Amino acid sequence: MGKIAVLTNDIQSDVVGKTPERTAAVEAARPRFLGFLAEMRRRGHGIYHLQLVNLPDDPNVERDPDGTLPLQRGSRGAAIIEDFLAPSDVVVEKNKDSGFYETELHARLQADGVDTVLVTGLQTQICVQTTAADAFFRGYNVWVPSDCVVSGNPEDRDRALDWLGGYCATVAESDEILAALDRDGELARKVVKILP
Amino acid sequence: MEHGKHEASPEIVLDHGSGAQLSRELVSLIVETLGDVHIGEMEDSATLSVRGGRIAMTTDSFVVDPPFFGNGDIGKIAVCGTVNDLAVAGATPLYLTLGMILETGLPIERLVRVLTSVRETAREAGVHIVCGDTKVVRKGEADQIYLNTAGVGIFEREPLRMGRVRPGDRVVLTGPIGNHTVHLLSIREGLGFEQRVLSDCAPLNGLLGTILDEAGEGLVHSARDVTRGGLAAVLHEYAGALGRTVRIDREALPIQPETVMAMDMLGIDPIHTANEGCLCLFVDPAAEERVLAALRSHRYGSQAVTIGEVTGDTEPVVLSRDRAGQESVLEELRGAELPRLC
Repeated sequence: MGKIAVLTNDIQSDVVGKTPERTAAVEAARPRFLGFLAEMRRRGHGIYHLQLVNLPDDPNVERDPDGTLPLQRGSRGAAIIEDFLAPSDVVVEKNKDSGFYETELHARLQADGVDTVLVTGLQTQICVQTTAADAFFRGYNVWVPSDCVVSGNPEDRDRALDWLGGYCATVAESDEILAALDRDGELARKVVKILP
Repeated sequence: MEHGKHEASPEIVLDHGSGAQLSRELVSLIVETLGDVHIGEMEDSATLSVRGGRIAMTTDSFVVDPPFFGNGDIGKIAVCGTVNDLAVAGATPLYLTLGMILETGLPIERLVRVLTSVRETAREAGVHIVCGDTKVVRKGEADQIYLNTAGVGIFEREPLRMGRVRPGDRVVLTGPIGNHTVHLLSIREGLGFEQRVLSDCAPLNGLLGTILDEAGEGLVHSARDVTRGGLAAVLHEYAGALGRTVRIDREALPIQPETVMAMDMLGIDPIHTANEGCLCLFVDPAAEERVLAALRSHRYGSQAVTIGEVTGDTEPVVLSRDRAGQESVLEELRGAELPRLC
């Protein structure tokens, strides 16, 4: 049986603080999200933070209205927000939406014996969705704790969760996931019929 | 994406390049302004009389972002696009030109990669590059590399034309739709689909030549390269030009499951998306099965399928029939907001 890992997406002040709606949504999710991360650490599961860093030569990067490049490597705005980070956690830099796109994430998860990933963070309809899809295509058993994903617009979040549950992931609240682990000792892989 | 009537835009906007309604308006402006010096017939290639014979001629520009992708690059697209435009006219492509606009700072190694793709794709298509041009612009005045290819072909059989399409003709697709768009968008944004969904970019003159030989003389009436604007733009073009209703079966559209996933995630309808290796054929019903068999025996046509027909109804619309048998009018998009895929 493979190991379980939690992947967080973009828990960085430049991302969280981009709009008041996002900031409020993260604040609302914070207690349960932090509690879930702490409990998963306590149970010995790895936490991998996907840190979005914009490359200066990427023509598709969205710049601030004044032309400033947000999320630059080493900047305060690109750092993982302190509350969410523990010494045992792993931080993996990414430069695009999916945490697997041209990053070391897959190699690290493979080296660590991980076969199940719980995808969390923001925004649900972009980085969570693409990272989950990418994980699914790479053969991981994908779960999404619905109370640990965030979008500035709740409708975007709900639509993304419907998509995830319909195509490639098991969507459940974090306490349901912990209960399933208590009960079964593992997280069952969803039977997905979309692919031949 | 918007529908309905709109005021003409006073300046060029990205949607003028989408292949949808605004693109057609732009082409109309160009044709009206050129006046009597323009003698084209709005096919993918022009059919021209030359000293008693006929040639096909076409041109296309390529501004692909990203210029390098998983199973190809802008060089491959630049050859395929022009070769396919000649082929769907019923011509045998022979000669291509190659124009390049290069941004200062482009590594020579990348230019050689593009040229190597041009060479290999031209070899596969059986065409030669006969002349070219290079221009270099300052940093920021272009995005790495833009290409233009013009092509000339000869007619060894009757040209394929929209005007030959008849009520009852079957509408046949030679392969899946949407893959090129998903592949490029996935690389552009890192969406996670780029390894599962590859571009369909391919030279299809060999495929089409096989079909025309197998179908029987004159029974493939017309063909279109399903590029920007997607299948919807092709169907609207034919419905409008023929003054006929074109009816398609949504369930019959060949779409890879991962492409369905990606399109659903992005909120895009694959019928409007760009392709680089898919043809839409208008086939006499008597030849439908022969054409499908010939397509499916070819590596670029293995998923060919009939998706609909041209009806006798004279309302120039495209009707789409869903799984439950309900028909609805397929709206034509004003623009597509998905620039630089070709």
